[in-house]
Amino acid sequence: MKPGRFLVRSGEDSYPVEVAGDGHIIVNDSGEAWQIARTGPGRYHVSNGAGSWEVFVQGAAGARQVFVNGEVYELEVLAEGATRKAAPIRHLEPMAAPMPATVARVLVVSGQDVRRGEPLVKLEAMKMELPIRAPRDGRVRAVHCREGEIVQPGVRLVELE
Amino acid sequence: MIKRLLVANRGEIALRIIRACRELEIETAAVYSDADRGAPHALAADRAFHIGPAEASESYLSIPRLIEVAREAAVDAVHPGYGFLAENPALAAACDEAGLIFVGPPVDVIARMGSKIEARRAMQAAGLPVVPGEVPADQSEPAIRRAAMRLPFPVLIKAALGGGGKGMRVVREPAELDDAIEGARREAASAFGDGTLYVERALEHPRHVEIQVFADHHGRIVHLFERDCSVQRRHQKIIEESPSPSLTPELRDQMGAAAVAAARSIGYRNAGTVEFLLEGNGEGPRFYFLEMNTRLQVEHPVTEAVTGVDLVRAQLLVASGEPLPWDQPALLQRGHAIECRIYAEDPSQHFLPQAGRLLLYREPSMPGVRIDSGVVEGSEVSVFYDPLLAKLIACAETRDASIARAAAALRAFPILGIRTNVCFLIRILEHARFRAGGVSTDFLDTGGHPLCHVAIAEPLPAAALAAAVVHEETAATAGSLPATPLRPADPWETLRSWRH
Repeated sequence: MKPGRFLVRSGEDSYPVEVAGDGHIIVNDSGEAWQIARTGPGRYHVSNGAGSWEVFVQGAAGARQVFVNGEVYELEVLAEGATRKAAPIRHLEPMAAPMPATVARVLVVSGQDVRRGEPLVKLEAMKMELPIRAPRDGRVRAVHCREGEIVQPGVRLVELE
Repeated sequence: MIKRLLVANRGEIALRIIRACRELEIETAAVYSDADRGAPHALAADRAFHIGPAEASESYLSIPRLIEVAREAAVDAVHPGYGFLAENPALAAACDEAGLIFVGPPVDVIARMGSKIEARRAMQAAGLPVVPGEVPADQSEPAIRRAAMRLPFPVLIKAALGGGGKGMRVVREPAELDDAIEGARREAASAFGDGTLYVERALEHPRHVEIQVFADHHGRIVHLFERDCSVQRRHQKIIEESPSPSLTPELRDQMGAAAVAAARSIGYRNAGTVEFLLEGNGEGPRFYFLEMNTRLQVEHPVTEAVTGVDLVRAQLLVASGEPLPWDQPALLQRGHAIECRIYAEDPSQHFLPQAGRLLLYREPSMPGVRIDSGVVEGSEVSVFYDPLLAKLIACAETRDASIARAAAALRAFPILGIRTNVCFLIRILEHARFRAGGVSTDFLDTGGHPLCHVAIAEPLPAAALAAAVVHEETAATAGSLPATPLRPADPWETLRSWRH
């Protein structure tokens, strides 16, 4: 099999990974060889001579979720030389429900000055209270929800000037 | 004996009840909402009945619908599980009226213990220590204020029908009283439809220790020792254990006897839990009655692990009129057990509940570990219900060993597709203060919280694997040779280097 070189990104960090022709894997150009065996669907055995791990993986090329030893890593794998595609980062609207939720309380009115971090709306979903906080200091221009209403994710609940 | 039972619940507790029914050869009927079509609990029961839309208020909380299904399924008993209607006297009353056995205590006991103020009065009358405080007969704000001022600060303003921290305010100084009374009243009125308040002294660094009790129709009442549920996040239990690291044998006996006396004095029947708060350390911790839960608890497997009994089986026997299968001397607490609650929530984002599909979900299997879950790989976790996915219970000879076992099991419990609190649970289990034992209920809401931001190990094995998987996929789509690096482990090749 043709060897390949990749850059694996985890948050701010990235790790160069080389998949050698004989199937060995070199991480961080360290010279240390890793071996991998598939043991079931989405399940692999990874070892490097000093230790061995049971590793589980799922997801598409852009974003792999990998479970090792109780931790979940969200990794992006880029083939070396490939230009990084426009990041598929979801732009989370800061003043919207992250999931379908009920508006438990509206804590501000339009015209009110708020400080960064101040709760604007309290949502309730899955028996939990979720405060929607002001992303910055500012004045409330409009409130787009009322108490008791079920709101959908991504829809802006409060607007700041 | 009960012949056919309606399980008026969903998720892991519904499955737990169905399992106990199978052992007793009781036929089961499950109910499911639109969101739970094909859910494990609906598949596991002998018959499953659609009960309504996803919203709990129109499905799992609808008493008329449940009674209708009970009639249609021709059951002779109803088990409410925990949550939903388990502590709603109206369900028990509706069962009585329909001639169905309600697996739980009598209606009037549920109603009495449901009011914190009533429960407090009843327990005081039974000789149990209650937290110093007062239920002002005059419910005006000045009267509540005066009652609070008679206590040493800090004080708690609490709602008569409160629970889960709702309608409760901690007041550190008199200046904060007016706002707190007004806030607690508003919250209590909107959450419970009753703004009745009472005041209590706020205990210092309390531990939450509860006693499992069990009573039958024949006058026998026993306790099954304690569970320590002090590891809480915003009044929600996360980790529970038995025995409690905070109890001496003498204190355990006293609390067990107090719980049995409490159950006897109110005419209790079936499984229940008397919750206490423990204050003070060393030789002189004192316990105070907190509340009584008139149902099976989420954390009941901890008790099952250390006593070796099946509490749900006993519930079904007792509800059928059989005597309790054990007397007090037969009950022993052996070894140590810990339960971790696995939630679909993201610790790095203020524990935001997560919804979505469990793309990969593999339960660990190892000695001394039990998993009670309501999901399988591929399950859709919806926004409509509690985000509890599974409970992991580990038991071993000692506390240290059971902590190590629970952590090892969590490290072998991959859940991908939605974020969970698994790594947060591991951090708690490995925390020096938790390991030392005796943390109080404010542990996570104060010192423990930075736990969600602890740096994690470098993802080297993960990076190696992710690259290899992508490499293989790229090679496969390019039509080159079958992937070499990820071949299944060849036993012959491996065995060659082994010695026998």
